[in-house]
Order: sequence, then C-alpha cells, then structure tokens
Amino acid sequence: MDRRQFIAGGAATLALWHKNSLATAVFNTNPAPKLVWVVLRGALDSLATVIPAFDPNLATLRPTIKPDPATLTQPLSRGFYLHPSLKNLYSWYQAQQLLPIVAVSSGFDNRSHFDGQDFLESGLKRTDHDNGWLARVTAVNNDAAIAVAQSTPLSLRGGDNVNTWYPSKLKQGDDDLYAALQKLYQHDDQLLAKLNDGLKLRATTMSQQPQQKNGRFTALAKGCGKLMSAPDGPDCAMLALGGWDTHNNQTNRLNRQLALLDDGLGALKESLGEQWQNTVVVIATEFGRTAKENGTKGTDHGTASTLLLAGGAVAGGRVLGEWPGLQTRQLFEARDLQPTSHTFSWLSTLMTQHWGMNSAQAAALFDGAPSYSERLVP
Amino acid sequence: MKITSQALIAANRFGYGASYQQLQIASEDPKSWLAQQLSGVEFDPKLPSLQSMAQTLADFKQLKKQQQKLGKKATFPKQSIVASRALSIDSTVQAITSEHSMSWRLLDFFSNHFSVTARGRTMSAIAPTLEREAIGPNLLGNFEDLLMSVIKHPAMLIYLNNEQSAGNDSKLARKGKGLNENLAREILELHTLGVSGGYSQVDVIALANGISGWSIKRPNKAKKIEAGFNFRRVAHQPGSQTLLNKQYKQSGLAQGEAMLLDLAHHPKTAQFICFKLVRHFISDQPNAGLVAKLVKRWQQTNGNIKQVMLALIDAPESWQSASEKYKSPRDFLISSMRLLNMKPNRPQRLIRSLAQLGQQPFKAGSPAGFGDTQQDWDGASALMARIDWAAQLLDTKKVANLGDIERSLSVLLSADNLQQVMRAESRQQSLTLALMSPEFQRR
Repeated sequence: MDRRQFIAGGAATLALWHKNSLATAVFNTNPAPKLVWVVLRGALDSLATVIPAFDPNLATLRPTIKPDPATLTQPLSRGFYLHPSLKNLYSWYQAQQLLPIVAVSSGFDNRSHFDGQDFLESGLKRTDHDNGWLARVTAVNNDAAIAVAQSTPLSLRGGDNVNTWYPSKLKQGDDDLYAALQKLYQHDDQLLAKLNDGLKLRATTMSQQPQQKNGRFTALAKGCGKLMSAPDGPDCAMLALGGWDTHNNQTNRLNRQLALLDDGLGALKESLGEQWQNTVVVIATEFGRTAKENGTKGTDHGTASTLLLAGGAVAGGRVLGEWPGLQTRQLFEARDLQPTSHTFSWLSTLMTQHWGMNSAQAAALFDGAPSYSERLVP
Repeated sequence: MKITSQALIAANRFGYGASYQQLQIASEDPKSWLAQQLSGVEFDPKLPSLQSMAQTLADFKQLKKQQQKLGKKATFPKQSIVASRALSIDSTVQAITSEHSMSWRLLDFFSNHFSVTARGRTMSAIAPTLEREAIGPNLLGNFEDLLMSVIKHPAMLIYLNNEQSAGNDSKLARKGKGLNENLAREILELHTLGVSGGYSQVDVIALANGISGWSIKRPNKAKKIEAGFNFRRVAHQPGSQTLLNKQYKQSGLAQGEAMLLDLAHHPKTAQFICFKLVRHFISDQPNAGLVAKLVKRWQQTNGNIKQVMLALIDAPESWQSASEKYKSPRDFLISSMRLLNMKPNRPQRLIRSLAQLGQQPFKAGSPAGFGDTQQDWDGASALMARIDWAAQLLDTKKVANLGDIERSLSVLLSADNLQQVMRAESRQQSLTLALMSPEFQRR
C-alpha cells in the first residue's frame, strides 16, 4: 500500500456520513429529513424582530427605539411585522416556508448569556456540558452531524458521529505529511479520528474559501449547505452567529445584524439546492431582552424571545405562540416578555413531526418536555 | 547535563516550553526554576499607552466634527489600528522570547479571565491596554488590587457598557440615561463568584447601582485632562444597597469599591479562581484536593496570586506524569517557536497565525474569554489548520541548533514516535511531525 492509498483508505473506512442512506432509499419513498440548528448568541431582541406593532405598549416602553412606521413593510399574521432587514425570510413566509413562534423560552431562569446558551444547547432541565440535545437526536438513528465551528459546540457534544468544519486560510500540506501523521497517531485514537475527519471534510469543501467579517457567516452557511447536500452528506448541522447583545444603539446594530443573518440563511438555502425541500432550519437564541429600552438606546437581558422555523419542510406563513401582552402586569418580573411556550417542547414537537420519532422518544430527549399539538410541518 | 522529564513538565505545563539550554538548567531543580520565573512581566515601554490611544480617538472625533461642518468625511487614522496590533504582538513576542514564560502564561490566563474584545473603533484601539496597564502590574499581587484596577480601566468600563450607566434615581437619569447591568453581571458571574456563586438578579442590580457612575475621562489637551477612570457623581444611584445580604451605606465611589473588595475576599471567588487556575495549568478535570490547597493558600495570604502559584508548584498533584491538557492555539504557537528556538523576525505574522489557528488576541468575542478545555480546541478542521501552519512555518523558516532540538525531543517523545519523527523523509517533515506529535500537542 503506498502512502496515497493509505490516506484514501483511512478516509473511506471512516463511515463519516451514514444515516441509513441505503435503507432510506430502498424502503422509504420520503426523502431523508434534514435539520439545521442556528444559535444566535447574545440574545436576540424579539420585539424588534417579529414586531408586535398592534400592541400599544410597545411605543411607551421603547420611546426612542420603537419601530419607525415607515419600516413596517413586511406584515405577518395577527398584526405582527417582520423586521425589514429579513428580506429572504419574508419571501419564505409568503411561500409558507417561514414559521415564527412568539414568546418562547427555554425555561432558563437567570440572565447570563453563556449559561443561557449552554442551557439551550444542552436541552435538559439542568445543563450538562458534555451532552447536547442535537447529539442526542443523532444518537437515536445514528445520524451524522456537522458543526460549522472550530471545535464541537455544546449542542453536538456527546455524539458519536459529529464532525466540525471551518475553512482554513492556510496553504495545505502535502499528502505524504498526512500519511505520516496517520501513522504517528496510530496509538492515539482521538487525534487519529480528528485527522481522518479533517481529511474527509477537506475533500468535500475543497473550493470553499473563507471570507472576511460580514461575508463570513454567509460563507459558512454556504459551506454548510454544500456539505449537507453532498451525496451521503450529514443529516444535521449547527451554525452560530454572535453579535446580538444590543445593550446600546440597538436599532442600527439590528439593522445590520439581521441583514447578515438573512443573507447567510439565503446562501444556505441556495447551497442546499433540492435538499431545501426536506429541511427545517431552527433559529433560536438563549433568551430575550427587556421589553423596556435602557438608558443607552438598547435593551438588557430578558426572558422570552422568538423561535423561527424556516425551510421547505415547514408549514409556515403564519405566526404561532400565544401573545402575553406588554402591560407591566403582563411582563415577567415586570420587565421581560412573559414566556407562553417552551423551546424544548417545540423541538420535541419537531422531532415527532419532522424526524419521525414517537412522542415518548422525543420527550425523552428533552427531560420529558411534551410535544405540542400544532402542526409545524405540512 | 541530561534533561529530565520533570524539567519538561515544568517547562511545558507551567510555562510555554523551553529551549534545550533552559531545560538543562531546569533539570537541576525544576521547582526553584519555576519559582524564580514568578518575577512579573515587563512590556516594551516605547509602545503606545491608553493615554495616547485615547488621544488619537479624541483627535479623530474632533476632526470628524470639523469635517462634517464642511460637508466632508474624516478618514480614521489607520496608524491607531497598527499601534494597537503592536501591543498584541509585543505580548506574544515576549511570551516567546522570555526566560520567565510562566509569568507570561499567567498573564494570558488573567487576560482571558478578564477578557475584552476588540470590536468597533474604540475597543479595537484600547482593548490590548487592559492587560498592559491593569493586569500586568498586579499580576503577582493580591487579587483585590487586580480586580479593582481592571474594573476601573476604561477598556473594561467601555466594553461592558458601564461608562454610560446611570442609576435610575440619579441626576443623570432625569436626562434620559438609565442603569446598565452588563458589567455588574459579568463581575459576579465571570470575574469573582462564578456562575454558581449563589447570587441573584437582586444582587446584580445592587452591584450595578453600586458601580453606577463609574465612567471614563476622555483626554483633552487644551484642558490638560488625561484619559482614565472617572467617577461621575451625577450618574451614581443615591442611597444604600444590599449585595449578598450585606448593606452598603457608603455614598459615592466608596460604595462600589467596598462591594468589589468584599467580592474579592469572598470564599466563592477563591474557589472559582483556584479551580480555573488548576484547570488552566494542570487538567480539564481539576483535582479537588489540589484546588483546596490553592484555596487554603489564597485565604492565608489575602488572595496573593504569587503565593497561590507557589502552592501550585509545590503540590505533588501538579506533577503527574500524564499530560492532561490539550494545547490551545496560542500555547501551540508559542511553544513551537520556543522548541525550535525561532526568533519572530516578522512578528506581525504571529497575529495572523493566531487568527488562522482560531485564537486571535482580543477576539474572544465574549466576556467569558476563550474556552480553556480540550473540546474548545480539538475540532477536526482546527487540527488541519495546525498541521498546515506547522508545515508552512518549517517551509519558510530555517531552523538552527538541530542537535539541541533533537535532544529535547528524545526526552519528550515515546521511543516509537521519536523513531518515526527521525525517519521522516525530510528535515522539514520531521520537525512538522514533532510539533504535531501527540506528546507535543498536549502538556
């Protein structure tokens, strides 16, 4: 065996993406479902994203950062409006492929970003830092998952079939160097597995070049779609986008930031190609922000936020979630949007409707969070 | 003299690795060799300070105003970005070349503990001044002084929005300013007690009130005002506050200062920081007995960081033979340069390399800083980036004193791996394999 064969063999014996693809093709006429989990780190302000323009308290609570009436151009059902930067998302809404759910919370009970993200990603009553909800989903049917990150985020920790991908700007080494490293790692299972995964990923995304700053999320989302739509590509993926902690100058920051998200998700759809029809993209954030604006034209850490479901496999075109109201007595601790439904229950619902689990299986993934009866998929 | 495996542990686990000559010295008495490294850090004094950075920003602001009146745009002075980058480069170069690399590792630890991110013009210019002006000078002193200097430094006040925070009953509040909880929350969660430190939202607000009015002075040449900390009484929330069930009746600046001192002395703070130190230096799963030893020393010495580090060096638990820490990208880069005895003659490349490896200085993007355990750094793509970086480094740089490097490797690597490294098809590949060997990736 020469060195090149050794590399090819190493990568091929590693069954990197194998969600029963054969079984699916033979016994099931439905194409395999795909799931993309997008975490908005920093706490998205839902009142500026899925705007409750009908609620008269909004303007009182937010005298300087309330929406400019001229920007309310994207009406949703029940009197909500979608933020004007979310142009792709609005076109999906019109095509029944976007389903916003308002006043959602993970049940996380303090206001720390990092703990809130860990709690959301773990998906349990008590955070387990080595046990992510998406990893548990993949364990049920041995699905494959990819994290678009330099190292595995909590959502995918604890899974057996999880890889990370992140484009490198460096010139690539020689093949025989990789072969020599495979040999050097023969007694180190951890490093050997990472190396083989790295070689496989590189083969799939060969042409993907990293981009600077604003283009970066778009480039990552595009690469993510490319990987998922490849033959035997992964079933689930995770993306993350930071920059939502708008303690000051919120209006301008959200205009930019939501445009970035919209552009990235647009690129994801495009690179998913036909797979878009089988995909649900779940966009979540660790918690919401205060209903009232603070002293620096921003908002502070709050409680309920919004959950967005997008994709060809979503029954969209309407807004779900009971609206709790914005009067002081209706707010959580007199400051935050009151949660009326639970993130983990929505995810559990999605597992039954989109992933083909029974409700007991799905609830078990989230420490017993029950499914809802609403239809999320057609 | 032959180098010992204890010397390698001393150099790699506590510091950023060492050259063969240094390892020989360390072999005589590794503990004393480490203890004398706790001598502090010194930066290049010719580089710009917060003062000059803030002046540049103030000058630009003024220029912008003037130009706006004329209907013109002002160009942001690029040299301020270059100057700020020079500060990050300085810390990295010093960590590579210093004979006291344990102190530089400790600086990196606290710089990450009090993480600030260079985002936007102001923070890009001043973020690196925090470690030089607030952390470095207090690195081996008492934690209370370190904490106070950091929280009062403009980089921290601006990064976590406290400079604009005004108590809701302060004079300024009537002019539309309000309370911002951001810094107070992170002090409790990240800087002192830790997230399970037993505080509540009520305590966050009490501390936010206590430090309301902690703001910054912008420099003004004409009025001879220097940049720095500024207490604005008009923005301070009047009245007493109750933090962690203790009442603070002080008025003005003294209130927040008393709160910070109590937080610095709180047993949960000792526990939290000692745990993080052991997790950083020794193992992702800190040995509870070892953490307890550090906490004890902390309590005996009023949180003296040098004493706590000496306790870490003294404890036998720190010297286990298994290497349980996977190197962070910064650790990998610095220790590679040190093993190879390379002088960073184009140091601006170092920052680019760190960015490519995923750990650009002052770009953690979160006040929690960069992660400090294996799973934060061991992704497949991250490993590929390390391989490519190592290969490129050895492609473009000449390595001197190969005999010394090989003698170091002969102690570090297992017999099998050493043989493989030595039998590689080229010198360049041999050294790339050495840097990427399991033994060198961990410490």
